[in-house]
Amino acid sequence: MKPFTRALGSIAMLALAGLTGSAQAADDTVKIGLEIPLSPPGDPAAGQLIRRGAELAVEYVNTVMKGVAGGKKIELVVQDSQGKTDVGVAAYRKLATEDKVIGVTGFFHSSVNIAVNEVAKEIGVPTIATQTSAADITAKRYEPAFRTHAIDPIRVETFLEFTKKMGYKRISLVAETTDYGIGIAEEMEKQNKEAKAGLELQKITFDHAATDLTAQLLQVKAFKPDLVINIGVGAPVDLIIDQATTVGLLPTTPMLVSYDAPERPQFWKLHEKNGVGIYFIAYYSPKQKLSDIGEWMAKAYKEKYGENAIYSSLNGFGDVMILAQAADMAKSTDPKAIIKALESGTFKTWAAAPVTFPDAPGVYYHNWSPPILILHYTKPNEDWQTAEIIVEHVGVKH
Amino acid sequence: MFSTELLVQTLIAGVMIGVLYALMALGITFIYSIVKMINWAMGEFYMIGSFAQYLLVVFLLGPDFWWVAVPIAALSVFLIGALLEPILIKPMFRQALERKDEYATVVTIALLLLLRNLATGIAGPNQFTPGSNLGVVMLGPLPVTGARFAAFLCTLAALTLFYILLKKTWWGLALRAAAQSRIGAQTSGVDILRLDQIAFGVGVGLAGLAGALLAPEFQVYPTNGVVTTVKGFEIIVIGGLGSIPGALIAGVMLGVVESLGAAFIASPYQNVYGFLLVLVVLLIKPTGLFGERVRQA
Repeated sequence: MKPFTRALGSIAMLALAGLTGSAQAADDTVKIGLEIPLSPPGDPAAGQLIRRGAELAVEYVNTVMKGVAGGKKIELVVQDSQGKTDVGVAAYRKLATEDKVIGVTGFFHSSVNIAVNEVAKEIGVPTIATQTSAADITAKRYEPAFRTHAIDPIRVETFLEFTKKMGYKRISLVAETTDYGIGIAEEMEKQNKEAKAGLELQKITFDHAATDLTAQLLQVKAFKPDLVINIGVGAPVDLIIDQATTVGLLPTTPMLVSYDAPERPQFWKLHEKNGVGIYFIAYYSPKQKLSDIGEWMAKAYKEKYGENAIYSSLNGFGDVMILAQAADMAKSTDPKAIIKALESGTFKTWAAAPVTFPDAPGVYYHNWSPPILILHYTKPNEDWQTAEIIVEHVGVKH
Repeated sequence: MFSTELLVQTLIAGVMIGVLYALMALGITFIYSIVKMINWAMGEFYMIGSFAQYLLVVFLLGPDFWWVAVPIAALSVFLIGALLEPILIKPMFRQALERKDEYATVVTIALLLLLRNLATGIAGPNQFTPGSNLGVVMLGPLPVTGARFAAFLCTLAALTLFYILLKKTWWGLALRAAAQSRIGAQTSGVDILRLDQIAFGVGVGLAGLAGALLAPEFQVYPTNGVVTTVKGFEIIVIGGLGSIPGALIAGVMLGVVESLGAAFIASPYQNVYGFLLVLVVLLIKPTGLFGERVRQA
């Protein structure tokens, strides 16, 4: 073999080894698709956390439950969406048509989930949104589209409850130009008008791939807001916190992070000096009771990774469990039967409250939402599990 | 929202970030000048440099000795590059390959995937920072982190040192000769394959230096080199492939255009302004501002 071919071959093999998932499954396994961001411009940290939970669900089903639909083992088929719509759609097509999965879950980026659902409505393999909140994911009422996550309107209701409680009037929305960021910013403008909340809003948007947001944050500073809402996902969340500190916004102007990123173990490593005072959304508090499988997961996670499970992992676990239970209930791997089971069944997840996917109007169609909390870090290295709860919003409407 | 203060702040911020971008571009353009190949894995060497800085600062030296860690991190990346070059790049010249460009593209993209996946596997999902004890510095009306200001100064120093080494040393002379004509340098007794190894090491070492300097600013994670690589390629197109002053000036232009555009036109299109600048330069001067047309017999 020529050196050229040898060099190429060995590198390509090694590189691909890192990309491909598990080995081909035997025919008697039930395959579940996991579509997560594992590389940029997606949020790889979120993808890995969801994957950890999903893998524990596989372990639970195969060892504790002894399989589904007559003892069949389940297998996870992982695809990297990269947070890109085209890659996400291609990944879904592969999972649905080549891997023959019974359903696809793990979605973290709303743009990807929305694009995939357009294809899912044709192919028919169900999707369960793990951590995507844009309204269109369920508001379009596509039969295969399901979700177990907080949606934009509820999240924004929580923001408004918070601003009212704190007496904030001038709000800067620093939002990335994704379906998530734009969706939340627009929903905020809409609800501000509809609820006559009287907030003065400044909307600053930025490209998710940007690494320097100084120009945008100088504009925010010039606006002199009472509150900055940080609507970035992944690395931009931390960049906004750091660069807002540099330009002098933090710590004098409070900042609310729009999702649960500050719960991640690295938050205090990244923001040792500027993490105190941050408000953030959370979907789970240890004060909540977990289900029996949730308790199993939390214990197994702690043993395996040496840290407490956070929502991304819990919901990744819960969604794979839901698909496994649906397959068990349907006694079939046919996507139509799985959808029927999801629509009619009641499922166990990590939370104590059972999951159902009602035929409810608008965005609440096929949607189950955890409660939304706003937590507040008041001291350095504070554990999110003991952080002060400022708002507990349970306004889920069906 | 316009004010003179905001304009001055934005201009300064643009110049600062532009100089930092230029360091990344310098590595790409240097490797191209000597080895005549584009290294698509530059971002991954940036990433290795940032991880090396993080490990040195957090586990060995502490944040006060960041300045000791920076050259060690850059040197480590230089050594990795110098070790990889004979395995991956040298076959391009040893064998009589007909498609050298394709070979270089495939090999460096494969290397990119390998390094990125290895880093993801080893480092896990989290982001890291080496932290910094340097306080905020006021540059006129603009507050800048001490880490960014230090990176800015170190970048200027590195660019100056690099320029002097190229102009004043025998190795610099040999490298410049190879950049002009590989065959000419070879017939003058220069070991061109050895020079390739050094040039590749130095080029990726510069990326490693950028990664180490920017680690406290842009965080450390397996895919942190992606954006800087894109900026690096934009800069070498604007400044001209192979031109060191071109890299610096184009870096500053890119930083200023992006910052002004984001602040005063529309913030979501920050990255688009850079590409518009690339298009304008290509229309006016297709070889880039300081690039020269290649003359071949």
